Amino acid sequence: MSALSAVQGVSEMPPVEKVDLRREFNEVGIGEVLNQLDRELIGLRPVKTRIREIASLLLIERIRKRMNLTSDVPTLHMSFTGNPGTGKTTVALRIAGILHRLGFVRRGQVVSVTRDELVGQYIGHTAPKTKEILKKAMGGVLFIDEAYYLHRPDNERDYGQEAIEILLQVMESQREDLVVILAGYGDRMDKFFASNPGFRSRIAHHIDFPDYSDDDLLAIAELMLRDMNYKFSSDAREAFVRYIGLRKAQPMFSNARSIRNALDRMRLRQANRLVADLDRVLTADDVVSLEASDVLASRVFMKAIG
Amino acid sequence: MNDQSMTIRGKDRYKSGVMEYKKMGYWEPDYVPKDTDIIALFRVTPQEGVDPIEASAAVAGESSTATWTVVWTDRLTAAEKYRAKCYRVDPVPNSPGQYFAYIAYDLDLFENGSIANLSASIIGNVFGFKPLKALRLEDMRLPVAYVKTFQGPATGIVVERERMDKFGRPLLGATVKPKLGLSGRNYGRVVYEALKGGLDFTKDDENINSQPFMHWRERFLYCMEAVNKAQAASGEIKGTYLNVTAGTMEDMYKRAEFAKELGSIVIMIDLVIGYTAIQSMAKWARRNDMILHLHRAGHSTYTRQRNHGVSFRVIAKWMRLAGVDHIHAGTVVGKLEGDPATTRGYYDICREDFNRMQLEHGVFFDQNWASLNKLMPVASGGIHAGQMHQLLDHLGEDVILQFGGGTIGHPMGIQAGATANRVALEAMILARNEGRDFLQEGPEILAKAAQTCTPLKSALEVWKNVTFDYASTDMPDYAPTASVSM
Amino acid sequence: MRITQGCFSFLPDLTDQQITRQVQYCLENGWAVNIEFTDDPHPRNNFWEMWGLPMFDLRDAAGVLMELAECRKVYGDRYIRLSAFDSSHGWESVRLSFIVDRPKQEPGFRLDRHEVAGRNIRYTTTSYAADRPEGQRYGGS
Repeated sequence: MSALSAVQGVSEMPPVEKVDLRREFNEVGIGEVLNQLDRELIGLRPVKTRIREIASLLLIERIRKRMNLTSDVPTLHMSFTGNPGTGKTTVALRIAGILHRLGFVRRGQVVSVTRDELVGQYIGHTAPKTKEILKKAMGGVLFIDEAYYLHRPDNERDYGQEAIEILLQVMESQREDLVVILAGYGDRMDKFFASNPGFRSRIAHHIDFPDYSDDDLLAIAELMLRDMNYKFSSDAREAFVRYIGLRKAQPMFSNARSIRNALDRMRLRQANRLVADLDRVLTADDVVSLEASDVLASRVFMKAIG
Repeated sequence: MNDQSMTIRGKDRYKSGVMEYKKMGYWEPDYVPKDTDIIALFRVTPQEGVDPIEASAAVAGESSTATWTVVWTDRLTAAEKYRAKCYRVDPVPNSPGQYFAYIAYDLDLFENGSIANLSASIIGNVFGFKPLKALRLEDMRLPVAYVKTFQGPATGIVVERERMDKFGRPLLGATVKPKLGLSGRNYGRVVYEALKGGLDFTKDDENINSQPFMHWRERFLYCMEAVNKAQAASGEIKGTYLNVTAGTMEDMYKRAEFAKELGSIVIMIDLVIGYTAIQSMAKWARRNDMILHLHRAGHSTYTRQRNHGVSFRVIAKWMRLAGVDHIHAGTVVGKLEGDPATTRGYYDICREDFNRMQLEHGVFFDQNWASLNKLMPVASGGIHAGQMHQLLDHLGEDVILQFGGGTIGHPMGIQAGATANRVALEAMILARNEGRDFLQEGPEILAKAAQTCTPLKSALEVWKNVTFDYASTDMPDYAPTASVSM
Repeated sequence: MRITQGCFSFLPDLTDQQITRQVQYCLENGWAVNIEFTDDPHPRNNFWEMWGLPMFDLRDAAGVLMELAECRKVYGDRYIRLSAFDSSHGWESVRLSFIVDRPKQEPGFRLDRHEVAGRNIRYTTTSYAADRPEGQRYGGS
């Protein structure tokens, strides 16, 4: 049994015979959200393309509904695979906005959880925990990061299975109340789906988030610096390009997050460099610029040398 | 107008003889009212040839320390403190010859927790003053320091709802009709039918006390039989306002005690018992867990005309302080006086914790009630089920809607009348919560509900052409676009 | 008989769609929605049993209806009501309360009269259902 199963607003409109596509597109306003996606996120070309495709599909679905040609609720659950820091959470937020504007999600909030919020520590603890999260996410999107941790078959005192069962149930029978997005590393998600085939059949869209290219990472860094009111000197920029190449090869690389961390460390070095000479008179340019030395002091260069 | 102080200071102030009020210190345009001052706003109509500043200063004087000639004994006191100060006079828009006078009174002029003292001080002396053609006490600002000396409503809106276990809709009542003549047993019959049919309350009328046709004890006994029967029949808490008004306080206490003994949850008093009696009854009500309903009997003699008297909004403020739980405050669409904007002002004064100044509702001051309990307004007089959408729109949810004739006059009987009102109300609330434009779609909503409720269908039919549209005698002075800075 | 407690008892029983709309209205006002049930519907019985805790922070009525469905599975033979709580200063109490489920048979109340001094009577309302122990008051079992 599920709650009010109307696509917001659409089922209350009288059925139509003709729809002006551009007008429908403008009214729904997804053009703006898609453009915002393009502007704000660097790279991610295949992801953006995929999202546009899904948006078109749902726009037509909405029109078909208005023409009374269908009353089915489309399956909207998704899986996002990729390394950390590749924009999965950000895209989930944008998707929620798109789904909301198209009327497939009633309220549009995103509730983001990991296994620990869904699974309890003792018998009987899991079901209420999972249900609490589900209730808060109803009307919106539930984003489960590192979803594969729900399944721990080797630990017999693990209660993740209960959460899985509840999720599968809701994903099937309350598709108009909630959209679920599962996210995590590609190979681990594959293993997870293999041991829990119920999920794969309930997921309509698998989107892979490739690692950023070196150029993308540089662009991300520039964007972050601009937002913080810093900039690279041209030497610093060259050094940073080399930094990226070296850092990517190292383990535990989290794409955009690692870039952010690196920039924070470079700002720290800049500050210390400036403060080392207390007799200076600083200009705006001094405090805004990152110099090559701030970049080159990083350990990744030492490793390369040594 | 508000420029020059003319106060005479020093020795000259107390030379024997007659001096103009505006020179005696009652006109102080530079005075900034203290947070602890009580402020009164008067609408002054001076006689021809009388200067409005002098007239306003005279009002300040005659409502505080002055007399018509200088007296040396004033010098035995800190006279300046006790003088009321008129600090501002504005002409009333669109009303030549009328002026708004703002007068500030020091807190020490008043006894704690006494409406009798407040009213005797402010209106006790000045209204008959010859140089004034007319005078109206329009509004008052009561400082928190003063508000805190009062008990306030014995029960208040929230606790009343909790006791009745009724949330989310206006409460429904009806005054027993005919106004006079029924004996106790037959009176009880009307109460039973109305409560059983679906109303929450019934009400004694203001002039039902203890008369040859029905002694008060008979009424109380039969009414409580009716209330209890209706309660058992419906499973809801029911009540009837037993009027305990009498000739003396002692008799009132006796009647109230008997009501309590019989298990009534509510009693009622009339405004005409006087402010002191009202405060005593409010204290009694709080001590005895009783809801206290006030009928504003007699108020229209002095509240109705715009140029002279006391505005009802002042009475409402006084009654909230005094501590009644219900007060009749107007219906807008019924048979008695009250235009929408002014009535809205009254309701806000009863129900809000902080009233913001809103001239278009006739609320002239910010008024902080310092968490004093809220007073439930009552809308009574010539309203019927067919107006439910307008009533809900004008008056909101925290109100008691009383349909006397609208219940008892129903062609299918009193129970049917009550049911019609209850169904109309619930249907309207349901629609409002769903987000419908219930004001526009009201008639449609009622018609739909009437499909499954014959009493409602009949009520809508019988009263479909009843409205009371007369020009109001007391509309606000300010239209919504005006803005006046304080 | 039909107990007329709550805000909508004089209307035909609410459909799930109507309940959803009322719940959504409460959520949009920022009120916490609560499910309670009882088999003792005496008008002075304020404290019905709570089904779980009041639900704060929900955006959509579907969450509440989920819990209601669960409650109905277990206590569908009794009275169930929804109430919405407003925690803002000056109210801090319930804003809306209405019955969503009733037992198939509602035996109602008996009015006991105890004559005391003079013409005075002491009244007591008792529910017929409460003559039987908890859990056995409505229907079978």
